[in-house]
Amino acid sequence: MEYVSPEGLRLDGRRPLEMRQLRAELGAVSRADGSAVFEMGNTKVIAAVYGPREVQQRSQHLNDKALIRCEYTMANFSTGDRMRKPKGDRRSTEISLVIRQTMEACILTHLMPRSQIDIFVQVLQADGGTRSACINAATLALADAGIPMRDLVTSCSAGYLNSTALLDLNYVEDSAGGPDVTVGILPKLDKVTLLQMDAKLPMDIFENVMQLATEGCKAVANYIREVLIENTKQLENRRGV
Amino acid sequence: MEQRLANTLNMTVNEKKFIESALLSDLRVDGRRPFDYRKLSIIFVREDGSSEIQLGQTRVMGFVTGQLVQPYRDRPNEGTLAIYTEFSPMADPSFESGRPGESAIELGRIVDRGLRESRAVDTESLCVISGKLVWSIRIDLHIIDNGGNLVDASNIAALAALSTFRRPECTIGGEDDQEVIVHPPEVREPLPLIIHHLPVAVTFGFIGKENIVVIDPTHHEEGVMGGSMTATLNTNGEVCAIQKAGGEGVLQSVIMQCLRIASVKAADITSKIKNAVESYNTERSLRKIKRHNPSLTAVKNK
Amino acid sequence: MEAKPSSTSPSTFVDQLVVPGDVILDLSSMANQTIKLGGGLRQDGDSISVMKAGNLRFTKPNKYWVESSHKRYVPNAGDNVLGVVVDTKPENFLVDIKGPALAFLPVLAFEGGTRRNIPKFEVGTLLYVRVVNANTGMNPELSCMDANGKAAEYGVLKEGYMFESSTGLSRTLLSSPPYPVLEALGKKLSFEIAVGINGRFWVNASQSSTVILVGNAIQKSESLSLVQQKIYLEKLLKNIQ
Repeated sequence: MEYVSPEGLRLDGRRPLEMRQLRAELGAVSRADGSAVFEMGNTKVIAAVYGPREVQQRSQHLNDKALIRCEYTMANFSTGDRMRKPKGDRRSTEISLVIRQTMEACILTHLMPRSQIDIFVQVLQADGGTRSACINAATLALADAGIPMRDLVTSCSAGYLNSTALLDLNYVEDSAGGPDVTVGILPKLDKVTLLQMDAKLPMDIFENVMQLATEGCKAVANYIREVLIENTKQLENRRGV
Repeated sequence: MEQRLANTLNMTVNEKKFIESALLSDLRVDGRRPFDYRKLSIIFVREDGSSEIQLGQTRVMGFVTGQLVQPYRDRPNEGTLAIYTEFSPMADPSFESGRPGESAIELGRIVDRGLRESRAVDTESLCVISGKLVWSIRIDLHIIDNGGNLVDASNIAALAALSTFRRPECTIGGEDDQEVIVHPPEVREPLPLIIHHLPVAVTFGFIGKENIVVIDPTHHEEGVMGGSMTATLNTNGEVCAIQKAGGEGVLQSVIMQCLRIASVKAADITSKIKNAVESYNTERSLRKIKRHNPSLTAVKNK
Repeated sequence: MEAKPSSTSPSTFVDQLVVPGDVILDLSSMANQTIKLGGGLRQDGDSISVMKAGNLRFTKPNKYWVESSHKRYVPNAGDNVLGVVVDTKPENFLVDIKGPALAFLPVLAFEGGTRRNIPKFEVGTLLYVRVVNANTGMNPELSCMDANGKAAEYGVLKEGYMFESSTGLSRTLLSSPPYPVLEALGKKLSFEIAVGINGRFWVNASQSSTVILVGNAIQKSESLSLVQQKIYLEKLLKNIQ
């Protein structure tokens, strides 16, 4: 199957180095301390953050830093067929672990010892790149909750089909069986915190694809920064500053 | 609370400081250099398809079994591959019996990603009757002793067990070619799996503020490291899978350097696995000769 | 095998390997005698039988005990051990000494300790302490003072690295005449070492390489015979100036 036409257009009309449209909204869940909705093309994810608050299971508190918990679920209606087991299966457990460890790298946990921060991420529409959208949404939600962070964490995926490196794969391109590289970076420090890859790739091509995904992450970081600045301006306006 | 305290590894602050400062002079507590692997031994238990791996103090056993099942609807011509991990509290007091914990699932998925997505095992040759009957290969990994770096040891156990596994030969007969006769091993020699390449996992740990890289971390080093990365490569220079699930951020150049080191180590481990499998296969065919010709054993035992 | 000792001579099993269940003394044939039983032995009606596998030892006039080597430690009053702080309570520090229960170190059990100058030990601090009492069923009690109330050498061990060993190796390291491995290492290298009878020892030196060398050499030498130890040490020390 042809994923990149001879003119250089992908199945959804994008160019190989073009990302899908991004859209973010803060404060979607009123009950949560911080929340955000993040869309990358047709992939839509909602994240809610509770904390820092008292550790619910007294036996698990950490003396010197905050305990971070994360739960990743997919809504039953998020994919084409209705899913019977949206959470608790192996894939969701692994992604919960990955998101938790990625956010732990950027949250300044030592400032809030003996407390707990819960991050809940739910996929509302899945069209490829759900992992990246979840991390971006979690970053926005944590910023909305005012939790001290070392830097933002942004994530983007890239692949390699028909001998072309493609940025931000959608579901059809992802299930083509080609390589899928997901990268999460700390943009100001320019350091890679999350890196996952599957399927085969020669090493030099892998370097190109990883570089492309990193550029995508930086573009997402710029967008997230704009959204946060806009949101802060609105808050200031409401306060009459 | 005392129970939780009893189960976790009580690391002293001295150990953390010492591991970091010793690494500044390129030394590790067990005397290794930062890019040395521990001693690896691959033993095959008598049956086909079972292996016992010892990497330093870490011990893992792998078992491969096959069963005839119905294929998935969207892949009617391919067999299936499934990986199950068993983290018993015997290996480490912090493992809990019962449902697999997070690290057990992560390990299973890393090994699974390395084998499945890179198409290491040929699944089309496992098809018996298209759309009706295929071989389902199940790999069970049992952790016996957790001395650190379970991922690499489990991966080697899986590869070694897959390399020596043999499935019974089946022929299709009967009217309409719908009947399958499974031949027992005494009648027809069972067939090995077709393995295109061996994806070897190499794990790196990042320790300390300067994120010094060590390969094959021990249990104590794992308690101190800020992040880890597992790269699965084969000897054709291809990267099959990478897992760096969060943790401390590292520069891209460091990642590429780690991949280059990993490909050297992968070649080394692949040759060790291949040698072990070869000597096992020679021994196996010798055993067959012994069975058919008892007079020869008298000569051999002299 | 039955022991048939005469009424005044020690058991025929002395200095031999015994296993649980062996009967070493039959009291019915020994009247009007006091026998002192040490670790690893118990009285079962009229016979003294072995609980732990090991070497049976006897010292005049009447003390019997089983010498064995294990990974875990049975607390005894008067022992000097290495403990790791795992938690702090208002009255005590909870210290792990590789025994059946965590030990309590009262916050005032330091030389010149008052309510005003309670030391701050974070989780993971390594201490050289004395076991004050160890009654079965109760948590053992520790102290950082000797019997006269002086600090002696007890307290926090800074820097260095702690190695795990067995109780047998700890006893050998503390025996006199000194352990040949320690002597040989001490002739060429300069280091400090603290040995806890609970199967732990701590080594510190000016260079990390010395610490690693000494610690690994001691651990490895446990399973070597005297001759093998000499050969091993010669090879090891030849490479050091």
